[in-house]
Amino acid sequence: MNGSARRMLRSPLVLVTGAVLLWFVFAFLVFPNLVMLREIFFPDGSFSTRAFAKLWSSDRARASLRNSFLLAAVLSVTVNVVGVFIVLATRYFALRGARLLWLGYATTLVYGGVVAVSGYTFVYGEHGFATRLLLDIFPGMDPAWFSGGPAVAVVMTLTGTSHHLLFLTSALARVDHQTVEAAQQLGASSWRILRQVVLPVLKPTLFAVTVLTFLGGLTAFAAPQVLGGRDFQTITPMILTFAGIPSSRDLAATLAVVLGVATLILLTVLNRMQAGGTYFSVSKVPSALRRQRITNPVANAVVHVLAYALFAVYLIPPLLIVVFSFTNASTIASGRITPGSFTLANYRQVLTDAASSWPFVVSIGYAAVTASVVIVLMLFVARVLQKYVNPVTVAVEYLLHIPWMLPSTLTALGLVITYSVPRAMVGDTVLTGTLALLAIAYIAAKIPITLRMLKATYAGIPDNLEEAATLLGASGPHTFRRVLLPLVLPTAAAVSALNFNSLLDDYDTSVFLAHPLYEPLGIAIQNATRSEGTSDNTALTLVYAVLLMAVSGLAMWFVYGRRAASRRTARRDRPSTAHPTSAADADAASLTRPTPTASH
Amino acid sequence: MRKTITAAVAVLATGLIATGCTSPSTTATAGTDAPETLVVYSNSVSDGRGDWLKKEADIAGFKLRLVDLGGGDIRNRLLAEKANPIADVTFGLNNVYFESLKKAKVLDAYTPSWAGKVDASAGDEAGKEYWPIVREPVMLVYNKAAYTKPDQAPSDWPDLWTKKQFAKRYEVPSDLGGATTQMVLAGILSRYRDDKGDLGVSQAGWDAVKAYFQDGVPAVPGTDLYAQIAAGKVDAGQMWLAGKATREQQYKVSTEAAHPKTGVPMVVQQVGLVKGTKKSAEAKKFIDWFGSAKVQAAWSKQFQTVPTNKDALAQADPAAVSATDSFTEQAIDWAFVAQHLDQWIEKIELDYLAN
Repeated sequence: MNGSARRMLRSPLVLVTGAVLLWFVFAFLVFPNLVMLREIFFPDGSFSTRAFAKLWSSDRARASLRNSFLLAAVLSVTVNVVGVFIVLATRYFALRGARLLWLGYATTLVYGGVVAVSGYTFVYGEHGFATRLLLDIFPGMDPAWFSGGPAVAVVMTLTGTSHHLLFLTSALARVDHQTVEAAQQLGASSWRILRQVVLPVLKPTLFAVTVLTFLGGLTAFAAPQVLGGRDFQTITPMILTFAGIPSSRDLAATLAVVLGVATLILLTVLNRMQAGGTYFSVSKVPSALRRQRITNPVANAVVHVLAYALFAVYLIPPLLIVVFSFTNASTIASGRITPGSFTLANYRQVLTDAASSWPFVVSIGYAAVTASVVIVLMLFVARVLQKYVNPVTVAVEYLLHIPWMLPSTLTALGLVITYSVPRAMVGDTVLTGTLALLAIAYIAAKIPITLRMLKATYAGIPDNLEEAATLLGASGPHTFRRVLLPLVLPTAAAVSALNFNSLLDDYDTSVFLAHPLYEPLGIAIQNATRSEGTSDNTALTLVYAVLLMAVSGLAMWFVYGRRAASRRTARRDRPSTAHPTSAADADAASLTRPTPTASH
Repeated sequence: MRKTITAAVAVLATGLIATGCTSPSTTATAGTDAPETLVVYSNSVSDGRGDWLKKEADIAGFKLRLVDLGGGDIRNRLLAEKANPIADVTFGLNNVYFESLKKAKVLDAYTPSWAGKVDASAGDEAGKEYWPIVREPVMLVYNKAAYTKPDQAPSDWPDLWTKKQFAKRYEVPSDLGGATTQMVLAGILSRYRDDKGDLGVSQAGWDAVKAYFQDGVPAVPGTDLYAQIAAGKVDAGQMWLAGKATREQQYKVSTEAAHPKTGVPMVVQQVGLVKGTKKSAEAKKFIDWFGSAKVQAAWSKQFQTVPTNKDALAQADPAAVSATDSFTEQAIDWAFVAQHLDQWIEKIELDYLAN
C-alpha cells in the first residue's frame, strides 16, 4: 500500500463515506449491470460473439458508428470555439449589453432534444423563415439546403454550449485579476494575456467540458434523425431500437460499450494531460477579475458584431417554439403563420386536465432530490478522488463512470430485474415498484457528470489554502467547509441546476422504473404526444416544451438570478474586499437556493 | 447557511426513506374493505380513453390505476417485473406482443365470462392466456389528389416498389419500434414464407423489403405522414384506421385506403391476466366487465373502435364497423410472425433501413 492510501485510511470520515460509496457502487452500478449483461451475453450459459459478427457485417451499423465518431470529433472543436467565445464575450471582455447577450446564450440551458431541432428547422428548414428569405435572393437555391452532416454539426454546436456557459464562467471567475494586470504592465498584448494567463486557469474545466461534448456527439440522436438524411445517420437510434428488443440487446450493449470505451479513453488522455499542471493563480492575495476593454477599435467592432449575430442565432429558435406552440399541427408543418392560425386550444388541452399538474410535481420532486443527493455525495467523493490517487481511488473513479458506458434503457432494466427479488445487499427487500428505485437510477445516472465537473474545479484550487487552514489549527471537516466548499459552490450550483433540468422530462429510465401512482412528466409528455394516437399531437409537444422552459428557467433563476442579486449587494457592502473566501460567500449563499424547489 | 443545508438534507433524506419504502402491493393489500386498486398496463388509454375508462370502471365498482406506455415498453416492463409483478391486468397490445408475453410465462390462463362471444382463434385459442377485444385494419393510404384516376393509385404494398411511378413518392418508417410499422412488415414478409429461407423468409421476400425501403422516403421524426402529404413530399404511406379521419381534418387533405385482394393485416388488441397478481379475483372480475358487450359497445361509440364481442357489434359505432368490414383480412400465421418478428426487425435495422 502506498503513502496516499495510508493517509486516506487515517480519516474516519473518509472511511465511513468510502464504505457507503463502495456499497452504492457495487449495489447499484456494478451488480445490476452485471446481472443484465449476463442475461444478454450468456443467455444459455455460453458466451456468444454473434453481436460482433452481426454488427461488423452491417454496412449501416459501420457507417452510423463512423458518423457518430466524426460528429463527436467535430463537435469537440466547434463547441469549444463557440463556447469559449460566448463565455469570453459575456464575462471576460467589456461588451455592451453583456447581460442581455448572456440571456440569449443561456436559452440552451432550458430547452433541448428534438424540440430544439424543430426550433432550428422553423428558421432554416425547407419552410423556415431564413430559407424563404434566401430563396427570394437566390431563386434557384435548393430549399432543403439545411440538411446532412454540416446541418447536424451546426445545430449541435449551437445547442451544445450550455456546459461552457455554466462551468467555464465559474472557472473564469477564479482568474486572478492581478496576474492579468501584471501581464499588461509587462506589455503583453490582449491576445497573449488570454492565451498565456487566462486560458491555463480554464484548462481543467475545458478538458472536462470537452469530455461532455465528445460524449454528447457520440450519443447524438434527435439532430441526425431529423436533419441527417440518408447520408448522415448516427448509431444511437439503432442502439435504442435494439435495447427495446429482448433478443437484440447484445447488439445494443456491444455498441454502447464501444461508445463508452471511447469516452473513457478520451477521459484518460485528458486526465494525463491535466496531471502535474498548475491551474490556479499564484499571487498571495488574488482579486476578482474585471472585464477587459478591447482597445483595438476594429477588433472591438468585430467582436461586437459576432456576439450579437450569435445572440440572434441563439434566440430565434426558442422564440419560434413559443410562437408555434400557440398554433395547430398543420401550421407547424407548413411554417406559415397567419393571424388566424393562433389558438389557445393546445394549452387548454394540456392545462385543464385535473391530473395534468401532478406529473410536474412528481418530476420536480425527483429532480430536486436527485440533484441534492448527488451534489452532496460528489462534493465529498470528488475531493477524495482528487486528493488521494492510488489504485483503489482510480478504480472507484472509473466504476463511477459506468452510467456513461451503457444506455439508460439497459441500466433501468438491469435494476428492475435485479431488485424484483429480495437481495441481501439492500436488506432483503424488493425495490421494484418502490419510489426509491427511480431515485436511485437517477442518482447513478447523474454521478459521472457531477464528478467530472467537481473534480475539475477542485483541481483549480491551490493546495496552500488548505495547508494554511491546517497550520492555523482548523480541523479537516472545518477546512473543507470553510475553505474548500465556498470555492467549489459556484460549480456545484451550476451542475445541480443542470442535473435538475435534465431530469425533468426523462423518459428512458422512468418508463421502466416509475411507480404507477407517481408517474413523472416524461411519461405524461410521451403519452400525450405519441405518434400512434388518434390525431397528430405535434402542437402538444411544443406546449410541453414551453412549460418545461418555464420550470427550467425558474430553476436557473434560483441559481443565477438570485446569486447575481446577492453578489451586487455583497459588492456594495464590501467594495474593496477581494480575497477568495469573502468573494465566494456570496456564491456560497446560492447553494441553499436549489433546495427550496424540493419543498414543492 | 450550514443549518439550512443540514435541514434541507435531512428533509430530503427522510422524505426519500418515508416514501421509498411503500410499494404499491403493500399499500393496496393493507385495506381489505375498500375496493382493491387494480394496476392496468395499457398502450390504448391515450386521447381521453383512459379517463373515460376510469370513470366508467368507478361506477361499476372498480378502482383503476392506469399505466400508459408504448407497446414495446409495456412488453419489456412486464418481462422485467416477472419475478414480482406490479401490474394486475394488461390490455391493448396486439397478439404478437401477447404471444411473446405468453412464451415468457408472464400471463395466467383465464376464461372470461364473454369468451363464447368472441372468435377465440383471434387470441390464444389453445392456452386461454389472452383474449381479443378490439380489431383494427392497418392500411396503405394515399393522397386522392395525387392521382387523376383511382386505378393509377397503388392498390397493394408491392406496387410501391415494383412500379416506377411510385418510387420516392411514398413514406417508409425510419424507426422500427412502432406496432403499426411492425404489422406492415409482418404483412409483407408473410407473403414470402419459406422455411428454408433466412428467418423463415425467402430471398425474394428480403429483396422486396430492401426495395421497399430503398424506393421510399424515410419518415422524419416529429413530422406526421399527413404533414408530408399536405406539403406534397409524398403521396402514400401507412396508417391505422382511427388515425385517418382526424388527420385528414387536421391537414385538410383527402386520402383513400388501398383495398388489396390479399387483404390487410388486422391488428387485434388483447386483454390478459398477469401471472402472480395478488388481486387475481378482482382482476378477473374487471376482465369480465371490460370485455362485456355493454362496455365494449360504449367504448366503440365513444372512440370508434370495432369490438370483437359479437353482442357488442350490433350497438357499436356503425361507421367504424363498416369501414373495418370493407377490408379483407390478410391470412397471416401469427404464431409464425411472433416467432420471427424480433429477428426480422433486427435484420431490417442492420441491413435495409433507408436512413
